[in-house]
This record gives sequence, structure tokens and C-alpha cells, in this order.
Amino acid sequence: METPKNTLIDGSKIIIESLAQSGADAFVAYPITPSNWMYKYGKQRMPLFLAAPDEISTLQWMAGLSATGVMPVTSSAFPGIALMVESINMAYAMELPMVIVITQRLGPSTGSATTGAQGDLSLLNGIISGGYPVPVFSPSDFTDAWELSNKAMETALKYRTPVFLLTSKEMVMYQRSFDLNRLRPLKKFTYDRHIEGEFKPYKPGRNLTPPFVPLGDDEHLTRFTASTHDADANIRKNDPEALENSKRLARKLTENLDDYFIYTLDKSSEPARDLVVTWGITADAAREAVAHLRNQGHPVDLLVVKTLLPVHPKLYEIMDGYDNVYFAEENLTGQFKEILFGHRAPEHIRSINKIGNMIKPSEIEEAVTHQKSLVL
Amino acid sequence: MSTATSSSNILTGKKFPFCPGCGHGIAINNLAKVLEELGYRPEDISIVSDIGCSGLIDPLFNTHTIHGLHGRSPALGLGVAMGLQQKDRKKTIAFIGDGGATIGLQHILEDARRNVDMTLIVLNNLLYGMTGGQISGLSTQKFKEIVDFETDIPPFNIIQLAHASGARYAARVDNPRQMKEVLKKAIETEGFSIVEIESLCPSYGMKRMNELMEVVEPEEEYENPRAATQIRMSEKPSLLDRQPVLEQKFEPLVRTRRDFIIAGSAGGGVQSTGKQLATAGILAGMHATMKGEYPITVGTGFSVAEVIFDPEPIYYTGLEQPSVAVIVTDDGLEKIRKRIGAGTRVYLDEKLAQEAETLPTDDIIIKPFTRTVNRKAAALLATAYMLDREKVIPLEALREVLANHRLAKVFLETLDRLEKLD
Ligand code: SF4
Repeated sequence: METPKNTLIDGSKIIIESLAQSGADAFVAYPITPSNWMYKYGKQRMPLFLAAPDEISTLQWMAGLSATGVMPVTSSAFPGIALMVESINMAYAMELPMVIVITQRLGPSTGSATTGAQGDLSLLNGIISGGYPVPVFSPSDFTDAWELSNKAMETALKYRTPVFLLTSKEMVMYQRSFDLNRLRPLKKFTYDRHIEGEFKPYKPGRNLTPPFVPLGDDEHLTRFTASTHDADANIRKNDPEALENSKRLARKLTENLDDYFIYTLDKSSEPARDLVVTWGITADAAREAVAHLRNQGHPVDLLVVKTLLPVHPKLYEIMDGYDNVYFAEENLTGQFKEILFGHRAPEHIRSINKIGNMIKPSEIEEAVTHQKSLVL
Repeated sequence: MSTATSSSNILTGKKFPFCPGCGHGIAINNLAKVLEELGYRPEDISIVSDIGCSGLIDPLFNTHTIHGLHGRSPALGLGVAMGLQQKDRKKTIAFIGDGGATIGLQHILEDARRNVDMTLIVLNNLLYGMTGGQISGLSTQKFKEIVDFETDIPPFNIIQLAHASGARYAARVDNPRQMKEVLKKAIETEGFSIVEIESLCPSYGMKRMNELMEVVEPEEEYENPRAATQIRMSEKPSLLDRQPVLEQKFEPLVRTRRDFIIAGSAGGGVQSTGKQLATAGILAGMHATMKGEYPITVGTGFSVAEVIFDPEPIYYTGLEQPSVAVIVTDDGLEKIRKRIGAGTRVYLDEKLAQEAETLPTDDIIIKPFTRTVNRKAAALLATAYMLDREKVIPLEALREVLANHRLAKVFLETLDRLEKLD
């Protein structure tokens, strides 16, 4: 066995290091709690660091950099993300790669800046006007933070899209002992310029994604636009080709979802009728709860979803195998459950919801043991 | 006036999309001429456009183009300009209308302040053309008197604002005859240049040049003698290079999970003590977590550190009722008071002795931590004392952590004071 390389480390450091090793060129941000450690590390680590005067500028600068082939990342929290929304839509329509890390904190509004939460998933589910999906990854531990930051970079560059990494205060501001051997060497990604035939700025290439030619290129003139457009980037209203192009923005992400859909299903040694479904920071409590229930002779399986959006049909296939399904999420209504089942979930789909504090293992155990939902 | 100059290699030759007599075409033709005269190739130019009538220009340019959001072209353009600095002789030219300039005012000031090489052209037709002629923040006083709209509120002088914010070159041009010369100066400027062009809008605004001249602000031209800001990328070392690897050197003294809260005040070394305790735990073969809590105003009020040790991997890091609490100040006590339970052992500073009976536990050890060392060291002294008594990990593990710190001398002196407590 390898000698452990134990250290005391926080998730912010792991995320920023992974993004840098995976191909990020620039960190652009306005500091906001609880993302401020990432800001500090971004300054120490990224080849280019830019202190933007606000979050709209942040996203606009990122878009400008990305359009020239300089891969940008940022970190923020809900108040900053709210300001970025129109610009995120712009980057999505222009097909500009970027990674946006969100540290969730307690809302509404300013709420409690230093209290963790899992309350921003619904926003991301509808963040692109018109029902277009955007990839959302959520790390459930430090190893995930390393791996998913890498996957976020790959996905952003491969499919030319903004990608979110959805985390929470406890993931990025707690320090934990951690064996650095668990951080495997990462592949570095870059813009894909694979042109087949005649170049057109929005003519789809591999993976339904147009090859990337940056502004300033000496071989091809390129165009980016946020308005509805055809393959030549001409603005077109209600034009079938342009509408097809808009639909392609969704198709490239849903039809290639297998490529970036990540989850872990931890099965009990005995066949289980109960399944706990969770994501992000609540996975820690769920792991403890499930282990405890199993020790007591109650077989329970645990599904930790790491690619939350777009929704993969595989999730329904997994859940169909259980009599009782419990969603544990640190928000008021169970946002992931609502995304999957709407506002009227089948009776056997229950939820454990809480705000203001992390969900405890004992609370998950209580819900599973008594076959009930809990709102705390 | 409404079609492109056919011989241009900078323009596509497409028909201009503007109303007949619109002033925007004059500006575009003049810019194209300037770029050609200066020897720019289409590949060297990136045109950044906004929304509104002035935002219809990107198909007219046979260059790189990027067409974004209303009011944001100065910010998007700055991103492009910073990215293009990695390549030679590439020019970023952003367009915006007076409506966009009102939305993106701060972006313009930021561009001026940063002074990265790019040019911003403000096409000021004194109104919002695309939505029906409403006034903007750059509509002039005389124009607003004609349309009877907010006559008591003056316009922004975007040229003076940009100049005051540090723009290398800032100019307003009213007369089309001067336009080419001013645009040439702007393009030749290394740094941020801004040109405000007062423009005809026959559909909603001023229809004739002589009428326009009556209502516009006077021409102005300013320079700030400063070098353009250079944006360069540089590789930096891995964050993990500086991450200490903690080899186990001690044996833990217990085989079960233990948790601690250290509670004090800002500036009292609580956070560093928490981190040192967690590090000592790892040296003694424990899994450890450390969570700091303090107000947003970090220099005042409480400071609390939560540390968990477990011989098994720790998943859930929540800690409601600690088994041990170390409390050195009243800020700290008030912050964690409700979390102390009947089963909590409390190490309490003697200055808080009168509070002992208000706590729900009888297991309280009172010692003069703050009297023995200064306020910066009391949390460390109390934690070391606690560790020595609790026998969870050897005190030597903590000593080892402190000895490797750059402030080792100060820390170890604190530890030497332990004997004064017994
Ligand atoms: S509305 Fe005015 S500014 Fe717009 S294109 Fe017509 S004349 Fe030009």
C-alpha cells in the first residue's frame, strides 16, 4: 500500500488546483462569502487573475477572454450569480466555454452569508431562457471536488458551454485531513479546433458542437453572437435554420449526456427496499446514516448524484427498483426531487429537507426508519 | 451615406441596415477608412457590438465580430482586449449607443481606469432609436428641451468622466469632417481610447446636420500620458506544492470519536489554535476536521473553532453539542452557550468563573488562562491544557506542530506556561 500523504486541506484549494491543472487560464471574480477562499487561491494559482468590479463585469470579461481562447473560471454565490444571469445566457448562446463555481449559502437574498445551503439548484434548472439545459456538477467530497472540477473543464471545452460546479460552504471552507494520494493526475483540456470542410462559426462539428476559432485568428475570421443566428452567425428571426441552431444548443448537451453523467450507487450487502438519494454536502450525513442503518440490520442503498443537470433518465431506472426513496437536501422543498418529480411526487418518494443547518445523519435515519418525510 | 464603401476590405459591402440619413453609417465608413490607412488586415480587428441601432453593425464588418448584450460591450470588449494581448497587433474596437453607455457607465469608467489597449466608439444619437426615441443619460440638455423630457436633469459627460477615470485618449466629435482624424488618433492610441460621435437620427431625433450642431455638447479632446496596461499570463506553482504532508509520528490515546469547541474572541488566535489542534490529531494518526466560525467583520466579536478527531474516516462534520468546550472570553461563551450540554466538559477562563453556575453542566474546570499569558495566546494555552488533561492524543503532537511553525518560539513559550496552571 502507498504511504499516505495526509494533510489538512480545504475544498477550495482542491477545486482551484484541479481547475488550473485541467486547463483554466484565468480566474476572474468579485469576492463573495463563502467563495472567498477560492478567490484567494485563484490569485495564487491561475496564470491570469482579474479582480472584476462586479459580477456582471466578471461574466462579460470571462466571455471576452473565452472568445479569444483564454479559458476562464470564476467562483461566486447566489447574490453574484443573480447578477450574472443575463451574461450567462449570452455566453451560452455564443457557445463560450467557462466554469462557474457556486458556493451555496442560506437565502433568500443576502440571507446568512456564512451559513451553508443547497438552495440554488432550481435556479440553475431554469437559468437559460427557453428551457435549455446547462451542465451542473456537484461534488460530495474532496475526491469529487478534484474529479468533477476536471470534468467540468472537459465538458465546458468539449461542448463549448458554461458549466456549473455547485458546492456549499462546508465543502469549501472546512478543513479536513485528506490523503493527497487520492488526487490522481489530471488530463489537461483545451479548445477544440477540429474543422472539417468549410469553416462557418456555428456549423456543428464533432458532438454537435462547432469547432472553436478564437477572435484574432489569422486563418479564419470568426463571429460570435448572442442573438438567434444561423451557421454563419447572421442574426435571423424565426428562420428554420436559426431555430434549429438554437435547438442544437440543447441537443449537444442532452444527446451527449452519457459522456458526463456521474453518480455513485452504494449498495447494501443485503437486497434493499429503501434508497436514499442525495447530492453535494448532504452526502456526508447520508453516508453516515446509511452505514448506521446497515449496522442495525436495515439494508439501505445510497445514490449520490454528481451530475445533477441535465437530468439523466438512468436516475428513474435506478429509483424504480425501490419501494421507498428518500431525497435528502438542505433546502426548503427538495429542489432536486421537484426537478425530477414536479410538485406532486408519488407517495413512495419522500424527502428530508432542512435550512439553516446541515441535515444530520440521525434525521435521515428517522425518516427512513419511520417511512416519512421530514421538513426541519 | 447609407451604403458601405465598395472598395473596403474591412467592410463586407452589405447594405447598411439603418434608416435613410442615419448618422451611424458615416461613423462606420470613416472607421473603415482609418483602419485601412493604418494598414490593418481584417484578421487584426475584433469588432464588439452592443444592442440598439448601433448594435446592427457586426454583419457590416469583414473582420472578427462579437455581438453581445445591451450596455455590456465595454466590458465584453475589455475581456476580448485582455485576451488578445496574448497575440501581436490585434485591435479591439467596441461600439455602443448612448442608451448602452447609460447602462454600462461603470464598465466605461472601468475600461478607462484599466487602460488596456482598445477603442470604444459611442454613437450618441441623443436617444433610444430602437424602442421609439426615449431619452438616455447622454441626451443633451438642449435636445431634452425640444422633446420636453427631464429638462431639469443634466446629461452625463462621458468624455470628461472617462478622462477623469484615466482614459489614455478621450474625445467628442460633432462635425463629420473631424471624425476621421479623431478616430485615427483613437486607433493609434496605445491604451484605452473613447470617441463619442454625435449622430443624426432622422427617424426620432435630429434630422439635419445644422440642427444637430445646435443641440450637441461642444467637442472636447483629452489625453492622459500613461502607458497602456499590459496583461500577461504567467504559470504559477501548484497549490499542493506548499501543502505540508503530515506523517503519523504519535499514537492516539483513545479509539473513539472526540470533538472540541474552542471559543474566544477575534485576534485571540482561536482559528490558528483550531488548525494546530487538528494538525496535531493527524500527526497522532487521527482523521480530523476543523471548522472556523467568526462574524463577517473578522476583526471583532467571537471566534470559534470546531475540531473533530476520529480514528475512522469522518463524513458528517456537523457538531452540535461538543464533548469538550474550551472558553477563554465572554464573546466566545455567548456564541456557544446554547451548545453546551449536561455532558459537555468545559475548560473556562477564571474571569468567567461567575458564569459557571449558569451553564447546564457541572463538569467545569476553571483556570487563569488569560492571566497567565496575553490575550493572543490564551486560546492556545487553554487548548494545550485541555489536551494534556483529556489524553485524546499526546500533548507532544501539538508541541511538534508548534515547533514547525514560523512563530515556534512564541508558541513554545506559551506551552512552557502550562506548569503555572497546576
Ligand atoms: S432609428 Fe435613428 S438611430 Fe436607429 S437606424 Fe433609424 S435613424 Fe439610425
